[in-house]
Amino acid sequence: MNLISERLDVDDYDEAVELFYQRHWTDGLPVVLPTRRRVEAMIAGTGRDPQESLGPVPPKGGPATVEKLAINAVMGGCLPAHFPVVLAALEALLDPAHNLNGVTQTTHMCVPLVIVNGPIARELGFNSRDGVFGNGYRANAAVGRAVRLALWNLGGAVPWDTDKATLSHPGEYAFCIAEEEEDNPWAPLHVDRGRPPGSDAVTVFACEGPHSVFCYGTPEEMLHVLTDSMCGLGNNNMHVMGQMLVVLNPLNAEEFAKRGWSKTDVRRYLWEHARRPIAEVRACGVVHEQFRKMERDAGRYPLRYDLDNPTTRVPVSAEPDDIHIVVAGGRSYFAAVLPGWGGFGGFAVTRPIRRA
Amino acid sequence: MEILSPVWPEHGGGRSASARPRALAGATIALVDDNLDIPFTTHLEALLGREHGAAVRRLVKPSGTAPSPDALIDEAAATASAAVVGIGL
Repeated sequence: MNLISERLDVDDYDEAVELFYQRHWTDGLPVVLPTRRRVEAMIAGTGRDPQESLGPVPPKGGPATVEKLAINAVMGGCLPAHFPVVLAALEALLDPAHNLNGVTQTTHMCVPLVIVNGPIARELGFNSRDGVFGNGYRANAAVGRAVRLALWNLGGAVPWDTDKATLSHPGEYAFCIAEEEEDNPWAPLHVDRGRPPGSDAVTVFACEGPHSVFCYGTPEEMLHVLTDSMCGLGNNNMHVMGQMLVVLNPLNAEEFAKRGWSKTDVRRYLWEHARRPIAEVRACGVVHEQFRKMERDAGRYPLRYDLDNPTTRVPVSAEPDDIHIVVAGGRSYFAAVLPGWGGFGGFAVTRPIRRA
Repeated sequence: MEILSPVWPEHGGGRSASARPRALAGATIALVDDNLDIPFTTHLEALLGREHGAAVRRLVKPSGTAPSPDALIDEAAATASAAVVGIGL
């Protein structure tokens, strides 16, 4: 196999692990060592040329070749079966619509979340149920970490360098979930976004960590608490719109569906009611106002709202479809809201997973 | 044991920066207004001109969250001896 990466000879595991720390090639945790045998096995299953590049990874622009991605996937703990998911995630992240350059370098805490859909999620053991944002599942952890290591080593997403997040969040180690598609009355996310039912796909969306929403009861009661949770003045959406992710648990979704609510109905209601009067938004200060002006000037903030009328209620996104709804987690009282970066980028991009 | 590097080698042959101007007085400074803090940018523009005697060429970038367009970078390089390329918040 035609591999061109620099080869390093080390005496043992301990020396190798320390070498990765010394060269700042790891995110703070030890790595699985990318031996030639492991890397070749990772690539062999894809049938792709090791030197095929998915494009430069911003901001530093290292080419995302299949070989380099395979090395980082090994380091993150992936098996060869996981690698097509990593490749699809990188393809999505490198779509200009996502603005990875900005996502990596913003001072905001957003981190790209990888959402896996399709039969491959169950086959590979991705968690979509209890503890979905937590630990304990190799597929979520390894794919999530492989993506982050690729951004680290190829794009320079390093906190003392080009990653300027002032707080960030723990998803910078690994941020990957699957959607629950079996215990779900609605079409899954990737189908909403144009992929065929039954296909495998990855969606990336840069967002804050999950905000817990105590969400239980009738549709009206659930919507009441969800809309309030979505329009906090601290999130970017309230000032410059953009996109937002709402994660409903399977019991929430079941309750909505039993009462005749489609996902589109829920999304529309959330968009129409997760709003604040512009006077409250304006009270946050002049800097927020400047961002809003920038977004209006750039055409990303719709002009249909009369911002000079203090009672105008502004939404968290320009359109209902900018609110993404995913079903995941345990059947319980809890949902989650994950605000995005605002209108600046990090927008959801979906790519098919190409199995070998 | 042989392991493979996860990074690309550092590029040694990048473009070198122009020499720094010896003084701000009389120099043309490109000030990229990245729309992130317009009052601060305006304040900086005034300071560079009033306090330091620089000729400031203010170039407006469409978004502070994406790279500058090539045309803006070319204009700054062609017309100024130094540039303030953005303001981080």
